[in-house]
Amino acid sequence: MTQLVWNGLFVGSFYALVALGYSMVYGIIKLLNFAHGDLYMLGAFAGFAILGAVGGVSASMALPVLLMVLVATMLLTGLAGVALERIAYRPLRGAPRLSLLITAVGASFALEYGMRAAAGADPRVYPVRLGGTSLEVLGARLTLQQLVLVGVAVALMVGLNTLITRTREGRAMRAIALDPRTSSLMGVDVNAVISRTFFLGSALAGAAGVMAGAYYGKIDFLMGFLIGLKAFTAAVIGGIGNIPGTMLGGLLLGLLESFGTFWLGGEWRDVFAFGVLILFLTVRPTGLLGERVTERV
Amino acid sequence: MTSAVKVRKVGTDKPPTRASKFLQNRWAGLAGLLIALLAPFVNASPYALSVMTSAAVFVMLAAGLNIVVGYCGLLDLGYVAFFAVGAYTSGVLATRFDLPLPVTVPFVIVVTVIAGIVIGAPTLRLRSDYLAIVTLGFGEIIRITANNLDVTGGPSGIYGIPHLTESPVVFYYLTVVVVSLAVVGAARLGRSRLGRAWRFVREDEDAAEAMGVNTYRVKLAAYIAGAVWGGLAGVLFAAHLSAISPTSFTFLQSALVLMAVVLGGMGSIPGVVVGAVVISLLPEILRDLADYRFFLFGVLLIVVMLLRPQGLWPARSREVS
Amino acid sequence: MRAIPLKSLTPLVLLGLLTAGCGQGLLGGDDQAPKGNGPILLGMLIPQSGSEAAIGPYMSNAAQLAIDEINAKGGVLGRKLELKTADDACDAQSAVAGANKLVTEGVNVSVGGYCSGATLPTLPIFGKANIPMIIPAANSQELVDQKLKHVFLINGTGSQQAAAADKWMTKEGAKSVVLVHDNTSYSKDIALRTKALLDAPGGADAVLVETVTPKESDYSANVTNILAKKPDYVYWTGYFQEGGLIVRQLRQAGYKGHILLGDGSVSPKFIEIAGNDAAEGVYATMTQTPDTLEGAENWIASYKKKFGTDPGPYSNQAYDAVRLAAEAIGKAGGTDGTKVVAALEGIDGFPMFSGPLKFTPEHTLSNGGFQILVVKGGKFALQDSLK
Repeated sequence: MTQLVWNGLFVGSFYALVALGYSMVYGIIKLLNFAHGDLYMLGAFAGFAILGAVGGVSASMALPVLLMVLVATMLLTGLAGVALERIAYRPLRGAPRLSLLITAVGASFALEYGMRAAAGADPRVYPVRLGGTSLEVLGARLTLQQLVLVGVAVALMVGLNTLITRTREGRAMRAIALDPRTSSLMGVDVNAVISRTFFLGSALAGAAGVMAGAYYGKIDFLMGFLIGLKAFTAAVIGGIGNIPGTMLGGLLLGLLESFGTFWLGGEWRDVFAFGVLILFLTVRPTGLLGERVTERV
Repeated sequence: MTSAVKVRKVGTDKPPTRASKFLQNRWAGLAGLLIALLAPFVNASPYALSVMTSAAVFVMLAAGLNIVVGYCGLLDLGYVAFFAVGAYTSGVLATRFDLPLPVTVPFVIVVTVIAGIVIGAPTLRLRSDYLAIVTLGFGEIIRITANNLDVTGGPSGIYGIPHLTESPVVFYYLTVVVVSLAVVGAARLGRSRLGRAWRFVREDEDAAEAMGVNTYRVKLAAYIAGAVWGGLAGVLFAAHLSAISPTSFTFLQSALVLMAVVLGGMGSIPGVVVGAVVISLLPEILRDLADYRFFLFGVLLIVVMLLRPQGLWPARSREVS
Repeated sequence: MRAIPLKSLTPLVLLGLLTAGCGQGLLGGDDQAPKGNGPILLGMLIPQSGSEAAIGPYMSNAAQLAIDEINAKGGVLGRKLELKTADDACDAQSAVAGANKLVTEGVNVSVGGYCSGATLPTLPIFGKANIPMIIPAANSQELVDQKLKHVFLINGTGSQQAAAADKWMTKEGAKSVVLVHDNTSYSKDIALRTKALLDAPGGADAVLVETVTPKESDYSANVTNILAKKPDYVYWTGYFQEGGLIVRQLRQAGYKGHILLGDGSVSPKFIEIAGNDAAEGVYATMTQTPDTLEGAENWIASYKKKFGTDPGPYSNQAYDAVRLAAEAIGKAGGTDGTKVVAALEGIDGFPMFSGPLKFTPEHTLSNGGFQILVVKGGKFALQDSLK
C-alpha cells in the first residue's frame, strides 16, 4: 500500500514539474502549448550532450555533477522556450486562439523530428545513472536518489510558487493573466513578462527531462509526447492556470495511475485514470483548485 | 470573457478581401468537386488513388469536426473517438456477421448517436478547456478499449473487411460523391435554424440562453451531428483500408483533424476542405524526404499559420454588417 | 496581418493532386515500371517515423547490404537488384499508402513488414498486384490464418516462440511465472500463447499476465504488481526499449528470480539501457543470430563497416528476406509473381540465419529455430539450443 503511494508520488512529481510549465503558459496567454512536452525531451538530450562533453564522471561525483548539468540544461531549455514563443507564438497573439494550437503542434513536430535528424531514432542511454540501493521506509521500498529527485522537484516548485506570489515579477505575471491590456497600460512590459514566463516553464520541463534521463537512463526523440499529454491532464485536474493546483494535479494523476495499475491491471490503467478524471470534472467542473470564474462577456 | 467571443471579433474586424468574396461564390465548391473528379484522369496509379481516397475521407472528418468546433465553438480533442466507433462498428458487423458494408450504415448511425450522447451529455456544461481534456480522455478510452477487447480484435484489430467495389477508381468516385454530399449537408446544416443557434452559442452563450435558446440541447445537437459525420467517415475508412487497428485512432489523429479545421479557417466550409486536403496530402508530398518529412511538415504548419493567422480560407460572418 | 492572396495557394493543392507523376491517368497508356532489362525492384515497408521509427534503419540497412553483395556478384539473371523503401509509420493508413506507392513504382517482390497491424491491410494490395511478400518481422497469427498464397513469413511465429519459452522454463523447473507484454499484437500474442502452454497440467504455472504501456519510463507500478506474486520467472515479450527499463526496475526493487526475454528485446541496446549489472544472467528466446552463429563475425563486421552501427532487431531477417527473394527470382527465371511464389514454395534447404529453410504449407518456417541466449559479460551468448 505505501509502496503504491510512493510509486504514485514519485511519478507524479515528474508530471507536476512538466505540468507547471503548461499551466503557467496557459494562465498567462491561454495557450495550450503542445510543444511543452518536447522541451522536456530537449532538456533530456541537452543534459545528455553536456554530460558527454564533460566526459567520464566517477560514481561518487555523480550527484554534484548532475546538479550542475541540471542548472545548465535549465538555462538552455529556458532559452529554447523563449525562442519558441518569439518565433511561433508571439506573432499570432491577436489571432484566433486555436491558430496558436496549430503552430504549437507544428513546433512539436519540428522539435521531435528535428531531434530525430540530429540524434537519430535510436534511444540513447545516459552515461551517468542514478542507481543506488533501496531502503525500506514504512514498508515502501525507495532509494536515496529517488528522495533527492523528489526533493529537487519540490524545491523547484516551492521556489516557483514563491516567485509568483511574493515578487514584483510574479505580480506582473498575475496581472497579465487577469487582463493583458490593462496591465500594459499600467506600465507592465507584457512581452518581456511573457518571455520570462516561457523561460521559467521551459526550464522546469528541461529540469524534469534531465532528471528522468539520469534516473531512468533511456531517452529518445518521442519521449516528450506522452508526458506532455499527461502533464496537460494533470494541469487540468488541478485547475489549469493555478500553480498549487497543478502540483496537486500532477501528484494525484501519479497516484491514480499507480492504483489503477494495481486494481485493474496495466492495460486498463489509462481508462481508469481518464474515467476518474471525467467523473471528477463533471462534479467539479473547474478542477481541484481552479477558480470558479463566471464567464464574462 | 469566453475565448470564442474573442475569436469572432478578430475575424469580423477584417475587411472582406478578394479571397473571402470568392468563397461566397458557390462556383468555388463546384470547382473543388471538378478538381476531385478530374484528378484520376491525370493520375490513376494505385498510389495516387489511395492517397486521394484517404484525403477525401479526411475531408469528411474535418467537415464533421467543423460542426462541433467551427460552428458551435466547442473545442474537441478526441474527435477520433467517433471515427473509431464508426469504423469498428461497421468492421465488426461486416466481418463477424457477414453483413455487407452499406447495410452496416444504419447501425453505425445509431451507435454514433448513442456515443455522441454518452460523451456529450455529462460534459457539455464544462468550460472550453475542460471540455477539451474530457474529450481527449474519451478518445483515449475508446482507443484503449478497442485495444483490450477481443471482439475488436485486440491490438491487431480487424482485417479482411470486404471492399465496396473491386476497382479503386470506382471506390474513389464513390467516396468523392459521399464526401461531397456530407460536405454540402454540413454546409446546409450550418445555414439552417439550428446552424444559426450554433453560431449564436459560439458568439455569446449567455445572450443565446437569454434569448430562449436551449444552449445545452443545441450544443448536444452539434455534438451528435459531428459524431454521425465522424462515424460515417469511419465506414469509408474501413472500406478503404480493409483493415483497422487501434494505431489509426490515436490522439495525434484527433489533433490532425483539428488542425485541418483551424488551418483552413474555422466555420468556413471551403476553408475546412482545403485545410483537410493540405493536412492529408502534405506528408505524402514530403514522403520522399524520408527523415526530414515530419520536421518540414511542422515547419510548414508554423509558416502557413504565421502568414495566414485566420486560416487559409476564413469564414466571413454574414450576420455582421 | 496582411492576407496572402488565395491564388498563391492553389498551386499547392494542384501539386498535391499531381504528386506521383504524369502519364498514369485513366486515359493515359498503361505504362508500368520498366520491365525486361531494368533493375529488379524489391519493396520494403518499414516504420521510419512514429513510435517504432528506431527499427526501420536496422531493416533497410541490412536489406541494402544483401543487395549490394548480390549486385557485386552480378545480380540476378543478369539484372541488378534495387531497394525501394516506404514508411508505414506502424499505422494502417500510412502502410496502405506506402504499399500502393511501392506497387505504383513497380516493385517485383515485397521484403518488408514489421508491425502486424500495419502489415495486415497491405496483404490484399500486394496480392492484387500479384507481388509475392516475404515478411521478415511481422509474425502475428492473423497473417498466417488468412492462408494467402503470396504471403511468406520468415520470422518464427508466436506459437513457436511460446513453445520454446515453455520448454525452457519447464526444463529450468520454474514454479510460478509472470508474463509481461506491452499490448501490441506481437507481444500479447507470445504472452498469451505461453500462458496457455504453462497452464497445461504439471510444471510451471502462469500466475499473472501484466500489461505495460509502451514508451513510458516508469514501470514501478507494474513492478509492484509483479513482485506481489513472488514469481521465480518473469517473461517479457515486448521490445528492448521498455525491456531494459523493466529489467532494471525489477532488479532495483529487489527481484532475485530469473528473467526471460522475447526476441524483440535481444539487442545490445537492451543491455545498455538495463545496465550491465541488471542485465547479467538474463535469458532470452531468440532465433539464431549472427552473435550465436559461427562464421557470422564477417557479416557483423561488414554491416558495421558500411553503416557504422551494430546490426539490430530483425537485421538478419531483413537480410535473409532479400537473399531469399533473389534466390526465388533466380529459380523462377523471372519476376512473374506466380512463378516466384511457386519457386518459394519449392525451396528446400536454403541457408539462412534461422537454419536451412523449407516452408510449411502455411508458408511459415518449418523450424522456428528458437534457442535460449543468456547475457554474459555484457553480451548475448548461446545458453541452450533446445535441441
